[in-house]
Amino acid sequence: MSDSHLESFLARIYVDETTRAKFLADPRSEALKAGLTAEQVEDIVKIDRDGLELLAASLKSKKQGRR
Amino acid sequence: MVDRDRFGLGWRPKLALGILSNLDRIDIVEVIADDFFRAPRRERRALRTLAAQTPITLHGVSLGLASSVAVETKRLEQMARLCGEVEPVSWSEHLAFVRGGGIEIGHLAAPPRSSATIDGAVANLRRARAIVGVAPQIENVATLIDPPGSDRDEATWVSEIIRHSESDLLLDLHNLHANALNFNFDPVDFISRIPPERISAIHLAGGKWIGRKGAQRLLDDHLHDVPDPVYELLEEVGARAPQALTVIIERDGNFPPIEWLIDELERARRAVARGRQRAAQKAIAA
Repeated sequence: MSDSHLESFLARIYVDETTRAKFLADPRSEALKAGLTAEQVEDIVKIDRDGLELLAASLKSKKQGRR
Repeated sequence: MVDRDRFGLGWRPKLALGILSNLDRIDIVEVIADDFFRAPRRERRALRTLAAQTPITLHGVSLGLASSVAVETKRLEQMARLCGEVEPVSWSEHLAFVRGGGIEIGHLAAPPRSSATIDGAVANLRRARAIVGVAPQIENVATLIDPPGSDRDEATWVSEIIRHSESDLLLDLHNLHANALNFNFDPVDFISRIPPERISAIHLAGGKWIGRKGAQRLLDDHLHDVPDPVYELLEEVGARAPQALTVIIERDGNFPPIEWLIDELERARRAVARGRQRAAQKAIAA
């Protein structure tokens, strides 16, 4: 279950602006709230923030382009 | 031993006329399978007609094989039905996850590179092989983010999935080029760590730089020409892979005239030929 939790959490922060903003403001507590394991929490607090922002922007523009 | 390398283009409606007018210079056409899963009967018939004229390879974009979560059976059955109708020479999918917790990402996301996603991918590939009847080729993806939760590098992760599955690698050289620049590794070292006999297909594409100064990344957007370093990587693969390769150029928009794409295909042919020649010379010298 814990590995699928991590994938679900990543999907949320990649796609949902509000979830992502909350996460970037307090990564540890948001990751804990999402039910990630202690090891996953330690990994995700070190997230590549530039990459996350660029990925989110790219997904958003892709979605807008599809409409 | 090399039988015959094949060079082709990704099928896009705006390229249809150009492709159909140049089938003597295009060895194979790659079709996005997902576009036909729910297509009207006449469109599927048109695809069968195309398949009768030229070899087709089907390319999936939404299975989400590289996940700790099992791929839904109905998605694999859709692929199986289409493969049954079109009889492609091969089919392929990405080493990506595309959804999680009910959320569709709308993109091929690189999963955490961990033993959990290796096990998940291998299990999904086994089911794909069982339901479709043939194992898919699996493609490395481009990523703008270093996937959180990863405990190994991309070459190790990809190699482990290949070693534990029946699937060969569809090596996307622009994805590799982009990841190597974005995350500072040597793409030739990556190629050297993949069992060469398991590379059976190649994707070529282009991209553009995005982001602010100091935090730029190369985006694989399929809207630009194939850059020079990608042809150099193709020559490397040509020198190492012992078997025939299928090389596809992917272009999703900002379309140039078809002659331009055919020229890119010719350039790809020359790059593979140079690699093959290097391998032959090395064999003679040994």
